[in-house]
Amino acid sequence: MHDKIHRSAGELAFYAVLFIFSLVLLWSAYGISGFESLSSPGALPMAVALAMVISSGLILLDSCRNAERDSTRFFRDILPPVIIVMMLFITGYALLLVPLGFLPTSLLFLVVSILYLRRGGIVFALTVSAGALIAIYIVFRLIFTVLMPSGIVPEAEILAAFGRMFGGAQ
Amino acid sequence: MEALGYFMTPWLDLKLLFLVAAGTFAGVYVGAIPGLSVTMAVSILIGFTFTWDVYPALCLMVGIFMGGVYGGSRTAILLNIPGAPSAIATAMDGYPLAQKGLAGEAIGLSTVMSFVGGLIGIIVLAVAAPTVSDFALTFQPRDFMLLAVLGILLVGSLSGESLVKGIFAGAMGLLIGTVGMDPLTAEERFTFGYTQLWGGISFIAVMIGMFGVSEALAQLHHIEKAAVKQTISRIVPTWSAVRKYLPLSLQTSSIGVIIGALPGTGGDIAALMAYDHAKRVTKNPETPFGQGAREGLVAPETANNAAVGGAFIPMLTLGIPGDAVTAIMIGALYIHGLNPGPMLMIDQPQMFWFITGALALANIFMLIFGLTGIRIFTKIVEMPRTVLIPLILLLSIVGAYAVNNSITDVYWMLGFGVLGYFMKSYGFQLGPVILGVILSRLLDENWRRAIISEQGSLAGLFKGILTSPLSLVLFAMVVMIFVSQTPLWTAFRRKIGLEKIEHDHGAPGSGA
Amino acid sequence: MNRPLVKFAAILTLTTGLTAPAAFAQDYPVKEIQGIIQWGAGGSTDTVMRTVTPHAEELLGGKVVMKNMTGGVGAIATKFVYAQKPDGYTLLMGAENPLLYKVMGLGDIDYSEFTPVNILARGVPILVANNDAPFNTFAEMVAYIQANPNEVKFGSTGPGGVPSVVTALLKSKTDLQVTDVPYDGDGPALTALQGGAVDVLPAVLGAAIEAIKGGRIKPIVLIDNAPTAALPDVPALGASNPEYAEYLPWGPFFGVFVKNGTPEDVVAKLVDAYAKGAESEDFIKLMGDRGYVIESLSGKPAQDFLSKWQSLTTWLIADAGLAKASPEEFGIPRP
Repeated sequence: MHDKIHRSAGELAFYAVLFIFSLVLLWSAYGISGFESLSSPGALPMAVALAMVISSGLILLDSCRNAERDSTRFFRDILPPVIIVMMLFITGYALLLVPLGFLPTSLLFLVVSILYLRRGGIVFALTVSAGALIAIYIVFRLIFTVLMPSGIVPEAEILAAFGRMFGGAQ
Repeated sequence: MEALGYFMTPWLDLKLLFLVAAGTFAGVYVGAIPGLSVTMAVSILIGFTFTWDVYPALCLMVGIFMGGVYGGSRTAILLNIPGAPSAIATAMDGYPLAQKGLAGEAIGLSTVMSFVGGLIGIIVLAVAAPTVSDFALTFQPRDFMLLAVLGILLVGSLSGESLVKGIFAGAMGLLIGTVGMDPLTAEERFTFGYTQLWGGISFIAVMIGMFGVSEALAQLHHIEKAAVKQTISRIVPTWSAVRKYLPLSLQTSSIGVIIGALPGTGGDIAALMAYDHAKRVTKNPETPFGQGAREGLVAPETANNAAVGGAFIPMLTLGIPGDAVTAIMIGALYIHGLNPGPMLMIDQPQMFWFITGALALANIFMLIFGLTGIRIFTKIVEMPRTVLIPLILLLSIVGAYAVNNSITDVYWMLGFGVLGYFMKSYGFQLGPVILGVILSRLLDENWRRAIISEQGSLAGLFKGILTSPLSLVLFAMVVMIFVSQTPLWTAFRRKIGLEKIEHDHGAPGSGA
Repeated sequence: MNRPLVKFAAILTLTTGLTAPAAFAQDYPVKEIQGIIQWGAGGSTDTVMRTVTPHAEELLGGKVVMKNMTGGVGAIATKFVYAQKPDGYTLLMGAENPLLYKVMGLGDIDYSEFTPVNILARGVPILVANNDAPFNTFAEMVAYIQANPNEVKFGSTGPGGVPSVVTALLKSKTDLQVTDVPYDGDGPALTALQGGAVDVLPAVLGAAIEAIKGGRIKPIVLIDNAPTAALPDVPALGASNPEYAEYLPWGPFFGVFVKNGTPEDVVAKLVDAYAKGAESEDFIKLMGDRGYVIESLSGKPAQDFLSKWQSLTTWLIADAGLAKASPEEFGIPRP
């Protein structure tokens, strides 16, 4: 999809964004401690931000000067609908994770995305998602005691209740 | 031979033998899952083994360490998602092999080579620990700085066909590494007023985003394509193959031991340096680097496992951690009533030999577990992408959260995933970004320390470099590698942006 | 076991867990307690907390899941715990650093927003030097530094760290012109001291003791009023230079905290558990071996300890010109 002689769809815009972003970072790096001394906390950030500005500038210039557009179309080859939808799914996941909690959000995410990608088969999607989620829950929550946001499911309390049910609390 | 007795303790006691095996087995899987790290596993084990004796506790930890460093290569080869930072270089040639249906061979070769590397690390630990640790102590801030510069120069061999894009990616990585509160002055850098940014951007979150999420997104392009069928008939490499790579593996293992023994650098830097070394010394690889060169698999895998033995050297001789995992093990020794430090070797030599013995045992179990069960692992790649991709995305999120229990890390991970996806689409390599993040603090802090030590004088710094033999050697290496890349530079300047090399991020050749 | 009864009990616990989020001491803890450690795994705060907590767990009858949340000299962890509900299910396991946040410009949340469960122990600082340094005693060191200004390299861990406070303390009474070389923790600084990258390091005894015993570095003076049992031959600064006695004893400390507003009975249960934990053999041995002084303070004595520490230290660093804001702005009295 991307090669050097031809410019892909959206390539120039992406380089421009990188260049502008690098400029912002350079300005921010200058703000850390200015040209105070070689050992100031801002010395390395300024040097690398400058390297970013120069390299992204060269990339942008190069792309402007040499390349002709190739036959790619942005919403077909670079960012087709399927990728946009999946990006939206993960954004939704990130937003819902804290209010809804880990278990419901993950189940929702897995089922919806498997259904979407497969286009059908709700039983299959539910079984696979539930199975995978149980495995992840066992490894991360039970073995590695990672306390994921619990949200609407009071899983820590349920777990403690289970703990008491089998052989009492620790 | 008293030492031999202590060395053999974990081999002869059935319970200890089992614990090393269990630890190694668990380690392989912990290492393979991005987001589950050996560091995490070992700190959880401290609580888990609190009431145990020190020996069984150490057996479990040593096993996890050895297995975990190796396990990272699994997902790197099969999915192009390194399970641990030290497997980043492994993905570059391992994944192209898997795409040719040679995952079984790649895993087999990397397992045997990890074993060789691990063994060399252990041998150096056993015979030369005091010498190596004294050598590691002579590294001054300027030497660490030169080492970091040496690392930065790897951008040249990691950036694929466009050096200028590689430089941008590397600089971006270095900058990501400086975000947050400066550890030396508590000055805020690139925090834009957000306290969530004080702690900086988690390196693991960047890695999972750049390699996990962006790879999953990129694979959506081929969602309809059937997965590559893997041949798993030939797993154990032939003796002639092992012999062929032996000279290289000895060199890369030495890199691994030294980098591992230096406080503040570990298996991740060692693996990348070893990869670069392999690329430099291999004149005519059967397959070009980046397209499935076996040498590109051998080098990082030997180096990162050799770094395990290396990391124990300063820990056992001086009580100085060689890396993050040994830092936690020092804490564990304290909790178990021991006092790790220079006196440990003198007061309790059995501890040194016991750990060395357990390491050697773990190395053997790693070989056994590595060569069996490959069938199940390769099934993962043959899973339909429609299921695999959502699972990778979910695991990436959980993994990023687990590192520091932080939702902010999850947002960063997703942000870098999307950015990484676009960078890949437009011909950037992501390896240099991670390289930059890994080296950022090493470079920044030691540059500043070196300058401060000379009271702010650049001339003083140069004088220091020219008068110390170690610094001079490192400096000469920096100059040599830089000059060896100069033809590339002139070529680059002459026809800036005119190289006509086809590339496609989905095709073998772009690797990580 | 009687199955229906078990089920009934499970449902009962579940419903109480759901309907009464503000736990009462008789049920507390109904789920895992999170212990947020301000510093990294393997560090001294981490080691102390992981030694004492399993003993406290036994008394609490619940599990404490310890997590390291590093960054921003502990400010990230402090803010995280501050943002949680004050229900006793999130503990802050920290060191002295938050007491300096206000004057160091690291936000306005310090231990005044928290209730101390237990101030477990206090470290004793010690001045250690590279074996090749051309001085062996405090007096010789002062003489050498005064004869060669800015030549001697002192290790530091950034402004507000133990080395910077000790250096400020020494400079308050003696003219010392040295070059401060910063490291990101006392571990790396001690390594640098052994390798000769720095000449002198004001360290915590616990971190340096093994290297001293192994002869890798040499002790200069103990920053306390009397020598310690762990290293009886090292002279104490307060004894040799009485002008420093008013500041001493001074040292970093470790403590367990909960956010203000936590139900009193929950705090009482935690206080009790950690006080018992601090009496455990493991903990006493660990502290003794590493030269820490066990304090085990809670309630009013703990509050007094914190205020005294904060007032002394913030003014020391403010007078040394290291602070970003004067302690006066926050109503911290001069000692």
